Amino acid sequence: MKHSVVFCVLVAVLLATFDAAAQAAKPSIVVASTTSTEQSGLFAQLLPAFTRASGIEVRVVAVGTGQALDLARRGDADVVLVHDLAAEEKFVADGFGVKRYPVMYNDFVLVGPKADPPGARGLGIIPALAKIEAAKAPFVSRGDKSGTHAAERRLWTEAGFAAPKGDWYRETGSGMGPTLNVASGMNAYTLSDRGTWLSFRNRGELVVLVEGDERLINPYGVMLVNPAKHPHVKAAAGQAFIDWLISPQGQAAIGAYTIDGEPLFVPNYRGE
Amino acid sequence: MASAAIFPLEARGVSVSLGGHAALCDVDLAIDARRRVVVLGANGAGKSVLLRTLHGLIQPSAGSILWAGSTERPRAQAMVFQRPVMLRRSALANVRYALAVNGISGAELECRAREVLARVGLAKLADRQALVLSGGEQQRLALARAWALEPAVLFLDEPTASLDPAAAAEVERVILEIHEAGAAIVMTTHNLGQAKRIADQIVFLHAGRVREQTSAADFFAKTSSPEKSRFLEAELP
Repeated sequence: MKHSVVFCVLVAVLLATFDAAAQAAKPSIVVASTTSTEQSGLFAQLLPAFTRASGIEVRVVAVGTGQALDLARRGDADVVLVHDLAAEEKFVADGFGVKRYPVMYNDFVLVGPKADPPGARGLGIIPALAKIEAAKAPFVSRGDKSGTHAAERRLWTEAGFAAPKGDWYRETGSGMGPTLNVASGMNAYTLSDRGTWLSFRNRGELVVLVEGDERLINPYGVMLVNPAKHPHVKAAAGQAFIDWLISPQGQAAIGAYTIDGEPLFVPNYRGE
Repeated sequence: MASAAIFPLEARGVSVSLGGHAALCDVDLAIDARRRVVVLGANGAGKSVLLRTLHGLIQPSAGSILWAGSTERPRAQAMVFQRPVMLRRSALANVRYALAVNGISGAELECRAREVLARVGLAKLADRQALVLSGGEQQRLALARAWALEPAVLFLDEPTASLDPAAAAEVERVILEIHEAGAAIVMTTHNLGQAKRIADQIVFLHAGRVREQTSAADFFAKTSSPEKSRFLEAELP
């Protein structure tokens, strides 16, 4: 039964992500990106504006950060827009990306039960995780090798627990929305990107307990897939998309996207 | 195929604003299990935005999308677009990738991938590069990727708009087979003949508002609004 539930949870990732955002006009580019940018609604706001400005259609394949970089390494995308700084720098260093441009950031929040028995509320993220571990309070991890999962593991390592184990630590192996649902059902702690949290309605007793720690900043980078590795890459159109994202118009469009009046992403391109 | 436990799919008071433009206004509708719903309307009426919002790609500015009364978005749903992204690998590898991303592996992955390719008529092309397939074949491959995941509801955004009539007919056949296998179908089209062939329900949108949700038979038999009359007269001979 548990397997079938997990399967149902996983089943829809595909075409939310896989075929997303394709329309008829040409030319077009393929952007490999993350479920968080797609499901937060940001692309629905940005891409029509870019297409109006450039005449270029953007077709998005939205998967986890690791999978997006894998697709780009194989030449299945022209541009990659993800959030795992270390993996992005390696992607460029290995010659698969031409250059990494910082484009925006959002932040993570630690959410958990309103009652907060371990007393994590208002602490920095590292002491908050230490309190949760000490109390063996239920914590739900994405466990899916996504950028969010990678960030969570880095924070646990920094807190001195490289590999949390035990009944209190559960991995869902799925996206942010399903993971929040599990956390809500268990009244457990979890690390969420702010965008998904803001658009998440089934909160139950969960509230934000830790936010604002600089360790919780989640930077996004955009890179053209290297045409020297994959000659079919649409380099001019792909670079046009990047140039638009980091232009004043693109940066303003990113900053203007809000949910419930709260911005989801902060543009942060500062020039060369 | 996933159960009917996620139905009805409802939009309650849903509004969507994109770039300052009201794309959907106060939309209410309900879709039951195993329906074949076609969303009609002129260009700019909000059809694609409605599908993306139901699927979860766009967050409503107001209102809620409910699945069996819950805002929890089930995963047993898939969406196929007019121009699907084909990965630079074989047709079979495209389906395998989709299954692998969704946590399916081993014999089950292999079995499902080959089975759905056969069902959409691409078994003989399994090892051919997806990018050299014709437009109709690529669309059937996109449907195979979706079908492999056994969705309870399949959203289709103008799936045959860029295809010739023969290729479109093949895609229609596959859509109806996916429905026969248990999925609800929610699709947009500008082809009224196709709407009549596929739909058992019609949702008619005008300027971001639902003007009518009714049986396909009633929709084409009755005139209920000037907007609908103008829409049908412009489309029908």
